[in-house]
Amino acid sequence: MSNNSANILDIKNIEVRYDNVILALHDVSLKVPKGKVVALLGANGAGKSTTLKAVSTMLASERGKVTNGSIEYDGNAIDKQTPSQMVGLGMVQVLEGRRCFGHLTVEENIISGAYSRKLSKGDINQELEKIYTYFIRLKERRKSQAAFTSGGEQQMIAVARAMMAKPKMLLLDEPTMGLAPQLVAEIFNIVKELNTKEGVSILLAEQNTNVALKNSDYGYIIETGRVMLDGTAESLLNDDKVKELYLGISKKGRKNFRDVLKEESLKKKSN
Amino acid sequence: MVDELLFFMEVLVGGLLAGTMYSLVALGFVLIFKASATFNFSQGAMVFFSVLAFCGFMQDFNIPFVLAFILAALLMVVVGLCTERLVLRPLMNASEDTVLMATIGLGYVLEGLAQAAWGVEVRRLDLGIGDFPVPWIADNLKLFISALDITAGLVAAIMIIGLFLLFKYTKIGLGLRAVADDAGAASSIGIPLKHIMLLVWSAAGVVALVAGCMWGARAGVQFALVDLALKALPVLIIGGFSSIPGAIIGGLIIGAVEKVLEVYIGPFFGGAIEGWAPYVLAIFFLLYRPEGLFGEKIIRRV
Repeated sequence: MSNNSANILDIKNIEVRYDNVILALHDVSLKVPKGKVVALLGANGAGKSTTLKAVSTMLASERGKVTNGSIEYDGNAIDKQTPSQMVGLGMVQVLEGRRCFGHLTVEENIISGAYSRKLSKGDINQELEKIYTYFIRLKERRKSQAAFTSGGEQQMIAVARAMMAKPKMLLLDEPTMGLAPQLVAEIFNIVKELNTKEGVSILLAEQNTNVALKNSDYGYIIETGRVMLDGTAESLLNDDKVKELYLGISKKGRKNFRDVLKEESLKKKSN
Repeated sequence: MVDELLFFMEVLVGGLLAGTMYSLVALGFVLIFKASATFNFSQGAMVFFSVLAFCGFMQDFNIPFVLAFILAALLMVVVGLCTERLVLRPLMNASEDTVLMATIGLGYVLEGLAQAAWGVEVRRLDLGIGDFPVPWIADNLKLFISALDITAGLVAAIMIIGLFLLFKYTKIGLGLRAVADDAGAASSIGIPLKHIMLLVWSAAGVVALVAGCMWGARAGVQFALVDLALKALPVLIIGGFSSIPGAIIGGLIIGAVEKVLEVYIGPFFGGAIEGWAPYVLAIFFLLYRPEGLFGEKIIRRV
């Protein structure tokens, strides 16, 4: 059942508790329009991962529960689904920390993503070749054991594996965590490509505010389980509060350690 | 001199083949350890339960051999189904220790059920294969090797090849290895954990039935089979808990070592060292190679 509304995902005022007690999300609402990239930004513990897991229904395996509000995916309410049913409906989450199958080869890892689909061997190889066009690096390393690949490659494996499930929507949880800036750019390029060429809608949780917003259409900023601010990526990038709090830029211009040290040394000289 | 060498060969080959019987039991443990990361303490009870049911079908209901075996195998699938639904699923988020304790409880339930249904007396299981030396081998090679040992060796070989092919080349095998590596990640890409668990526990049940047939034919179908399965522990420590070839090789090593030690060193200790010698070997492995010979090393990126 597909619907005609413009949003593939519509989260309305959800509250999430762990162990029936710990309140992780107070009130989160967000929308992901079809075919768009939406960034979910915030510091550690703000509730980004919890929001994503509420959508993929993986909360249950961590003793979490949506206790209020509603989530609609593709026009249907999500409540009783299991994670594998969600994958069947085209919603795949790429978990935080990559989580590759270390003892499997790179190629086995990617193929495992097609588990929920009924494909012949030929179909799988065809899909595999298509996936490799986005992840050229992985094709070279297809026979390596995944545990011995680099952090950036493992992130690519995780995204490639999710793509094998032929998702309509991807949930990416901190895909750039711990990666060098060059790799961050490479990962985002791939994500953008998947979004434009394959038409996959993306909800992206990130701490890397600047890069995330530059590669998104819309952004939400959450703190302690509440949405504090939302707007188009452009408007957020130019917002003074966002600049100050998340991008480290104050009104007077760029402010970082080097600037502070420079100011201090100037003061000393004048004394 | 030639006689001594022949005698040694006989002890060694007899030990190796007897070891395959341990391997068969250990296989069941490995299957479940791979998927649940838990040592299944109820595996011994599953051996007892399955083979007692097999005997019961044949002897109490006069069901023919093959049909009785199929029925017993189906019963083990039902046991796997119930285990998944009643024990594993409610404990899905529990720690590995909790699941371990649950398998101990499950063992008691199975032992009790088996005896309630089929009685407590020792049953004889006749597979039509004698536990005595094969005449042809005795005449030509001058080695006295039991036909049952040879059968157990063949059965073990067939099962390891079958399981290896299943894990390496089938879709369900790939899913199983994925779950063994990271169950959370496997479920995030749509691998249904409950199907995998059901499959693994059913497979372990059928493996238990095969092992039980071999042991039952040798020692009689009795409660002692439950404790016999504990011999699989040193086998697994040596071979590695997560490796199917490891279970086989570990079984062979235990079988050979305990027989050779019993014959050549046993007299100095007053005999009967095969009861504890494997555990001494296991302690050395725990000290110097805790992942076993074939166990998957814990790979961690630094």
